[in-house]
Amino acid sequence: MGTLASAIGFGLVTASILALAAVGFSLQFAVTNVLNLAFAEVMGSAGYIALLSTHAVNNIWVAMVPAAVFGALLSYGVNRLIFVPMIKRGTKLFGMVIVTVGVGLIIENVILAVAGPNFSGYALPPVHTHHIGPFQLTAPQLIIMGLAVFAMISVHLLLRHTKVGFAMRAISVSATLAEHSGIDTRRIVDLTWLISGALGGVAGVALFINVGAFTSATANEFLVVIVAAAVLGGVGDAYGAMLGALVIGLTSEIEAAYFNPQYKEVVGFVVLVIVLLARPQGIIAQVAVQREIGR
Amino acid sequence: MSAATQFYIISLLVFAAVDLLAAYGLNLQFGVAGLLSFAFILFQSAGAYAASVTSLGPDTANGGFQHYILGSTLPFPLPLVCAALAGALLALPIGLVTLRRLRSDYQAIALLVMSIIATDLVTNDQHLLNGAAGLSLIPAPLQNRLALTQVGYQWLFVLFCIVVTAACYLVMRRLTKAPLGRAMRAMRDNEQAALSLGKNVVWLRIITFAVGGAMAGLSGGLLVEFVGAWAPSGWLYPETFVLFTAIIIGGTGNDVGVLAGVLLVPVVIAEATQFLPSIGRPGLIAALQWILIGVLLIVFLWLRPQGIFPERKRRFPSAEELSRGVPRRRLSIGASAALNGRQGAPRG
Repeated sequence: MGTLASAIGFGLVTASILALAAVGFSLQFAVTNVLNLAFAEVMGSAGYIALLSTHAVNNIWVAMVPAAVFGALLSYGVNRLIFVPMIKRGTKLFGMVIVTVGVGLIIENVILAVAGPNFSGYALPPVHTHHIGPFQLTAPQLIIMGLAVFAMISVHLLLRHTKVGFAMRAISVSATLAEHSGIDTRRIVDLTWLISGALGGVAGVALFINVGAFTSATANEFLVVIVAAAVLGGVGDAYGAMLGALVIGLTSEIEAAYFNPQYKEVVGFVVLVIVLLARPQGIIAQVAVQREIGR
Repeated sequence: MSAATQFYIISLLVFAAVDLLAAYGLNLQFGVAGLLSFAFILFQSAGAYAASVTSLGPDTANGGFQHYILGSTLPFPLPLVCAALAGALLALPIGLVTLRRLRSDYQAIALLVMSIIATDLVTNDQHLLNGAAGLSLIPAPLQNRLALTQVGYQWLFVLFCIVVTAACYLVMRRLTKAPLGRAMRAMRDNEQAALSLGKNVVWLRIITFAVGGAMAGLSGGLLVEFVGAWAPSGWLYPETFVLFTAIIIGGTGNDVGVLAGVLLVPVVIAEATQFLPSIGRPGLIAALQWILIGVLLIVFLWLRPQGIFPERKRRFPSAEELSRGVPRRRLSIGASAALNGRQGAPRG
């Protein structure tokens, strides 16, 4: 019982970080149809911005704010400066995958060149373990879970109860139709990249808090798990991404508790490959038809 | 010429030949047949491991400090044959992924993830191929039999690599000039049309993957016989990206372009700069290399997506032109078809 409870506890924390990242990834993919493999590097660079900010404010939760802002601006800037011109020049789906991998490599190695190859870590105050029901969790882990729940509710309210969210959903179905209906698609797409980058920034800081010690490559190792969570729920579906995050977070931690912890990521990857090959539209969504890339 | 300078030149030549061999394999799959072989480095890696374990002997050798499967000592050319076979055999199941008519970006992700899964498995399983530490002390073929100095032997090995690469190039060129190559290009440019003309695209994909995989495997075998060690850190998925970058920059589907791309990207940027004196903090040069490769790729996709040497589109005379006796012409039309997703799923 103890093993299972602690595995589920860890699983919920992993799922929270995954949910933050996967919803950001999925929302942006739904609206723009660009499979952005540079997303992990947005997370990583935001994590390093938080590290810099802690020198000024000495509180990681406050430092998360500039990190989220940086993530939003980086994500927006990369799209406007690189992705959009590429799409206008006729680069299609696979070409864009190569471009986003290239952008990711550039960002990751800029971090490596600036921060060096050594492990870094946030200076966190000594942590206390809280017993909540059968789970034992630290204060930062509880805050991360709270943040994830808050972000999920916000995204839900945004998508279902605001005009912007309505426009986003419209664009994700058909950018052309949305544009003809008088939606300012460019503004909505820009806003989507900003929101997705901000979620990525928060997820990056949360990931770095959770792993303790990180390098420029840490976020990238998390990328495939994010894609797995996003794809499992149906790429381009924010709710599916939440479900996918929960499933992957729990299964990988439970696998780690009972079998071989070195393979905990492999579980997520295998799930991803199977879903991609067997049911690319995901478990619940109907997206994933081949359509034009939105800009 | 000092021994160090000679070794530098020897290394560069071997790396150039090996990278070129692998790049022609990838170009056959991606450039000619339009298959998004995003797990390509696995085939090279399989070849390298196959050549290693078939020349290292049983894993109790050398005090049993490394563990691996299938340890044996095969005479000289056989480890390389095993390398090519391993590459081809691994390419077959992985190539089957492209039979699913997925969106091209999903296909790329599926293959990318397979590459990462393979890295994870080999890294974490100590008994399969010695885990993260990798295999080492792989003997150079025939070095004991040939009465040569170290440098003399290495020059001979350079020559051997160049001959093997040239031979593979000729075989590949023969294939792509043949009706088979025309069918591959037809599949790349318009799969539905190729199907409607009775081309067996499943068979074409399998052939392409097997031949490209064998070339990659052979390149891995040659590489490992030269460097003498092989570990998971040498075949992470960005290595596939380097080969793609080389092909795209040189000119997808153009043999001269692939040569130019390989000389520029993996050789000059990735290999030659390793011998520069280290400046700044450790890892800085490696980081700058990756940044440069990424920037080059984006600049090329932006300004010249067809590469330095664009593929010449083959144009065949229509029946009317034939009857009027118009000579066969070749037009130069830009932009690689594979990059712009003209293959795979029907668009709708």
